[in-house]
Amino acid sequence: MRGFLATLRAAGAEAFANRRSFWIQVSSMVVNDLGWVAFWVIFYNRVGSVRGWDADRTLLLLAVFATSAGLVLGLFANVRWIGQMAADGGLDAVLSLPVAPLSHLLVRRISSVNVGDIMFGLVLFAVTGTPTPTRTAIYLVGVVASSTLLVGFLLATQSLAFFAGRGETGEMGFNAILLLANYPADMFTGMQKLVVFTAVPAAFVSAVPARLVDEFDPLRAVEMLGAAAGFAALGWAVFTIGLRRYSSGSVWTQA
Amino acid sequence: MGANGLGIDVTGLSKTFVSGRRAKRRVVEAVRDISLQVEAGERLAYIGPNGAGKSTSIKILTGILHASAGDVRVLGLVPWKERRQLARRIGTLFGQRSQLWFELTPHQSFRMLAAIHRIDKADAAARVAELAELLDAGDLFDEPVRTLSLGQRMRCELAACMLHRPDILFLDEPTIGLDLLAKQLFRDLLVRVNEERGTTIFLTSHDVADVEQVAQRVVVVNHGSVIYDDSVAAMRRTLLATKIIDVGLLNGADALALEGVTVLKHTANGAKLVVDTTAQSVRHVLDVVLEVWPVSDISVVDPPLEDVIAEIYGAPRA
Amino acid sequence: MSWFATAVRTGARQMYASWPALVVSAFFYLVVVTAVTTLWRAGAAANDGHVAGYTATMLTWYLATSEASILGLSFRMIEEVGDDIASGSVATELLRPVSVLGIRIATEIGRAVARLSVLVPAGAALCLVTVGPPPHPAGLLLAVPAVLLALTTNMLLQHAVAGMSFWIRDARSGWFLYQKLVFILGGMLVPLEVLPAALRHVAEVLPFAAVAYVPARLASGHVEPELLAVQLGWSVVTGVVASLVFAAGERRLQVVGG
Repeated sequence: MRGFLATLRAAGAEAFANRRSFWIQVSSMVVNDLGWVAFWVIFYNRVGSVRGWDADRTLLLLAVFATSAGLVLGLFANVRWIGQMAADGGLDAVLSLPVAPLSHLLVRRISSVNVGDIMFGLVLFAVTGTPTPTRTAIYLVGVVASSTLLVGFLLATQSLAFFAGRGETGEMGFNAILLLANYPADMFTGMQKLVVFTAVPAAFVSAVPARLVDEFDPLRAVEMLGAAAGFAALGWAVFTIGLRRYSSGSVWTQA
Repeated sequence: MGANGLGIDVTGLSKTFVSGRRAKRRVVEAVRDISLQVEAGERLAYIGPNGAGKSTSIKILTGILHASAGDVRVLGLVPWKERRQLARRIGTLFGQRSQLWFELTPHQSFRMLAAIHRIDKADAAARVAELAELLDAGDLFDEPVRTLSLGQRMRCELAACMLHRPDILFLDEPTIGLDLLAKQLFRDLLVRVNEERGTTIFLTSHDVADVEQVAQRVVVVNHGSVIYDDSVAAMRRTLLATKIIDVGLLNGADALALEGVTVLKHTANGAKLVVDTTAQSVRHVLDVVLEVWPVSDISVVDPPLEDVIAEIYGAPRA
Repeated sequence: MSWFATAVRTGARQMYASWPALVVSAFFYLVVVTAVTTLWRAGAAANDGHVAGYTATMLTWYLATSEASILGLSFRMIEEVGDDIASGSVATELLRPVSVLGIRIATEIGRAVARLSVLVPAGAALCLVTVGPPPHPAGLLLAVPAVLLALTTNMLLQHAVAGMSFWIRDARSGWFLYQKLVFILGGMLVPLEVLPAALRHVAEVLPFAAVAYVPARLASGHVEPELLAVQLGWSVVTGVVASLVFAAGERRLQVVGG
């Protein structure tokens, strides 16, 4: 545990080492997120509401998504790069240390640009989300569940690089879930809707927790937590099995 | 230490990589049937040309890769099975990979490593001070790593992998990219570490000078197998039965023809003779040269290690 | 000018050589377009079948085209060019006997052509399958040169912005802001007609509209050839600005060092 915290602390120090760069990165992300707010405001201004989603609820979605993605890509930044590290031998360093590889890897790097997302999401919720104690509690639990699911999903897709390819599936998975989580899942129908609730669970990353804050439903909440736990387990499993394969050397002959 | 007191005990180690599928399937035997015993406190150089299996071997010994066949014990532990336990007792320095955090000072990295190795703060501080002295690096530990030259960084990397007082240090091409002076300094430090702390040094390298100046024992691998394993001195002595005589001349001298002697170079100022010691005694050649030539200076040297090793590499596959 | 053609070919070949990256970007494109068109079609359905005069079919063709125009280029170009300037790569390019900017643009055109060769068929297929052809296919014909002009204007504009890196180290971070401006004021995510009036007037006088809105508008079935003239104008303006910035920057490099 002490090692884990020390690594996290060092990662933070490293990200913050160049103050100016840190704040520029953070501001860039805030600008980016404000752009999305502008988009939704313009959209709903014209369109009114779509399948039960209006501007307020969509901003709630943004608040959940920004904080959750910020936590995952900002604090556990390496989760995005595991595919590449598997392909180029970058995991050797972590295997030379007396640590559990996954937890060390995850906290080894902090990405300043995504830290901006965390702050933005929290502020957005505070400003537009009507933060009553109940809603805030649901929001925070929703964010935690969403992050857990996102980590699990990214781990699983990135870890496919242990088995085949140089990380393209990881890249595609990463792009897919982050793109689709920007949108209220209820707008999708048929096959697409099935996908965002299962294979690429973008719905659970943003839309479901946002809706829970507005209209709490115990069944949906259980589904949410189940999905989070499920993907976390999946990610852990694929990574662990993949690491064994890395250790047998079969991944590497590309290096 | 292993039950039999060995630091490293390898028997019949083999490693095969399989890549591709069906038609494009390739099987590469990176390491084949290697056996090796290393005792505590040795300084060993593990050398070979590119693709010889050096990196694969060292990765197996440090637990990053697991073996396809054979028995490997490092400090009594099976590396890939007891990786974390082993990691507490060995240090690794891979030339291309850094343990230190780029934007932070070495001190900050040490603090993190101390926490990972469960060294308490007071103890860690004392060890860092010791290392600063041992490695002559005290003034470097508080500068951000990105501001250090490669040579300075390598000294700090060495400190980082020694913080937890490992019994064995595994170094994979540690002097790559260093300038001559920095290489020299680093080699001296490795010897110092071994002599003052008794740390076993296991070093892979391309650079013959690493062998000459650091190693007491050299293991040569090629095509995945060990083709030579002996002390460096013995290697020089037994493998190339030649001696080189460098002669400085006062003024010109006539040509010299002696059995078993090849004249490599002959100018008005000096000559270089290669003596085949199986056909001619060095003593006799010296006698003749001193008698017949106006000698200002004379010395007898071993052939360069490069030549020795090149000849070993060139030996037909066993 | 043969060096220009060679650079274009090299850029294209380079993209085709790393075809897994092309596959990933085609995938990205299809996911984005699916999501965004589904959203707008749902919006149109909730609004009597149209938004600001665009039907669901028009919206689909609009968005597929605007996205293709943007994704035809590396979306972090400002950062990449900024890094090249900061790292000194551009300084070494000065050693070549041809215009630094010229070669870069030519190479980018090559890369863009390679990307488009994948994105355009993908986008067209997606549109035909989901909504069928656009109302006035003549618009599609006009959209072809429009896309090319859009890409050219886009690259020149990004190089002009990235050129700030000759003076300001952090200009590279501007890519975020640029993207957002293109998203909204360029009409990539939102047809300009949907914007509130004030914002729309601003968008009409900025070059961003030439970068995404124009080809999208044409492809969505509005036959308005005068838009091509607007694009041409902007491409000339951005070309001049980029050349001036790079010329000044190169002079600075020669004085100050890499």
